[in-house]
Amino acid sequence: MKQIDFNRRLFLQGLAATAGGVAAAGITPALAAGPTIRLWSAPIMRPFPTWEPFEEQAGITIAWSPKSASADEALSKMMVGDGKKLYDAFTDNGGGMEDAMAENGVIAELDTSRMKNWNLLRDEVRDPNGEAAHSIRYNDKIFAVPYIANADSLAYNKTVLGQDYDSWAPLFDPEFKGKVAMQNDFGPTMTVTAIYLHESGQMNIKDRSNMAKDEIQGVAEYLIEKKKGGQFRTFWNGFQQGVDLLASGEVVMMSCWEPIQRVAAGKASQDIVYGTMKEGHQVWNNIVMLTKDAAKRGVDDAFYKLADTCLSPWYTTRQLSRFGFASLTTGMVDYLEAHPADFNVADLKATLKRKEQRYAVKGNAWQNVYPKELRAYQEWWSRVQAA
Amino acid sequence: MFRSFNAGGTAPARRSLWQVIVDDHGPGRIVLWIPLVFMVAFFLIPLALTLVWSVFERTMFWMEPGFTLAAYQDFFGSGRVDSFLNSVKSAAVTVAVAFILGFPIAVFVRRSVPAHAQHQAVLLFILPFMISEVIRLFALRPVLGRNGIVNDLLMSIGLVDEPISALLFTPTSVVIGEVLSFLPFMVFCGFLAMEAVPDYVFELCDDIGSGLVVTLRRVIIPLAAPGIFAAAIFIFVNSLGLFLVPDLLGGPGAANAGTLVVNAIAALDFPLAMAIAAIMVTMMVALLLIGHWLFDLTKLLEPFR
Repeated sequence: MKQIDFNRRLFLQGLAATAGGVAAAGITPALAAGPTIRLWSAPIMRPFPTWEPFEEQAGITIAWSPKSASADEALSKMMVGDGKKLYDAFTDNGGGMEDAMAENGVIAELDTSRMKNWNLLRDEVRDPNGEAAHSIRYNDKIFAVPYIANADSLAYNKTVLGQDYDSWAPLFDPEFKGKVAMQNDFGPTMTVTAIYLHESGQMNIKDRSNMAKDEIQGVAEYLIEKKKGGQFRTFWNGFQQGVDLLASGEVVMMSCWEPIQRVAAGKASQDIVYGTMKEGHQVWNNIVMLTKDAAKRGVDDAFYKLADTCLSPWYTTRQLSRFGFASLTTGMVDYLEAHPADFNVADLKATLKRKEQRYAVKGNAWQNVYPKELRAYQEWWSRVQAA
Repeated sequence: MFRSFNAGGTAPARRSLWQVIVDDHGPGRIVLWIPLVFMVAFFLIPLALTLVWSVFERTMFWMEPGFTLAAYQDFFGSGRVDSFLNSVKSAAVTVAVAFILGFPIAVFVRRSVPAHAQHQAVLLFILPFMISEVIRLFALRPVLGRNGIVNDLLMSIGLVDEPISALLFTPTSVVIGEVLSFLPFMVFCGFLAMEAVPDYVFELCDDIGSGLVVTLRRVIIPLAAPGIFAAAIFIFVNSLGLFLVPDLLGGPGAANAGTLVVNAIAALDFPLAMAIAAIMVTMMVALLLIGHWLFDLTKLLEPFR
């Protein structure tokens, strides 16, 4: 089945959901009963037009404030600003953010026994030795609950290109000069480039998401060389720009988030595919955290209800259906098969299968929000931008 | 200010509360201080803080008092200075293009549009500002893109065989976006400067048979120089600072000074953001001083003598 068949339907669903969301803007908190939690989260946490279905499912009332995906916003608000007074729980990227927040006493340690769905989490996250264990822990203690995850990949326009791709190599191949794009963010772009350079034997990079200074320089110089050669049409910023680039035909392939590919495919009515790259992907999850102040005020009960609902197949399947951002949990296939009237089961199982294929690639690297040589990343990225 | 009129030396007429308030010595005079207080509180103090914070020590999430030039070293020792200089060049080109396109419009309106309709004609240039900057710039993408309207047109009339990529995501598209955004400044300032020139100056030029180019070069531009310079400063500073343009229309990683500040804040490097802002302010002040020295900006809007 072409991914486009799946995507067009989802795109229309998305439009309807977005329209509903706009219509319902400003009506939070909704009418659900139960304790109220003040949630500061990215809009992507809500795979519904309103919070009402979630509130009914969780038995809580959510007073929601939208938050951008920018890490600096959370740090500024929680470390320097009044975020701890304003919000009980908030979301951000796992893999660094929880360390910063826990180290500075912003968030509370969690008791996993209070979430009955905790055991649905896959070993990569739940097991203290799992490869993503660090993304929810600080000093071996659990401080966060993951609610969405993905392995970011390459989207390519199969309608135009006429073939499938399973490597990052075309992104840097002069054959596609001026027709490709990457994200205007040093984190994912330098990590993906590092994965490609390492796995293709062009550079030896010990930790692709936490590079040493000379490795950062090597990756940046590679990007500078490619940029000067006119390889990249542009670096995209934000969801809408990404969709526009792919859907308008300005680029035929680009590294991007999965929802960008899904919406672009629907918008262009073309077979734009989210591939599986043999070299690896940047894998990430987003987490929800409880502030210490909220725990002291007794909002922890509402938080555990919220987090437990996020781990449930009821929620993860709906995230998968709406955004393609299923969390690293088990039980989704069983739930889908038990609720055929609510989902296009075959399509979602195919999406999950592709996701599993991406997760299984050996060369994957987990996102690191605060690599050790952060300043070197920033400095060299400024050189890439200026080149 | 209003004063009550005391006729015939009789007892002072009873004054209304409003008259008391607006009296030269009444509490109304405080109104005159409001703009001053506002400018001190929201312009001068933040400006001073910008300079002070630029030499503070960067911490993981904020900054702490101290004195270090590390932020300036970060700026001059990285690719940021190149992006900054590139944006200075781009802004200079934008000013030149805006002058070439905008000033003739101002001259045309002043000389050829009937006097009673001149202000209405100039006000038409406000219309683009009624539309959000983001929308205006984003709308250029389907116009200038590889599959955009311009390329479609050029290909349909046979001028080019394949789409021109240089129209979008290049320095050219950044200049186009900036000119689109800031052209009205040149029209407004140019017109205001021209408005101070009486009609007989133009008539005299016509009478002596001065050609258009000579009239422009020897009469109109010298008379309008302060206004042109004011417009140039507006456009230059905005081109440096409005990060939306390179963000939406620039090539891979395109950045102007505004982008550099935003990126520094996103990286929680507040001293660096302050240092870049301080460099921008310093440059602007220097340009204003040069402009004043060259054109005597006090003559802006001064009637022709």
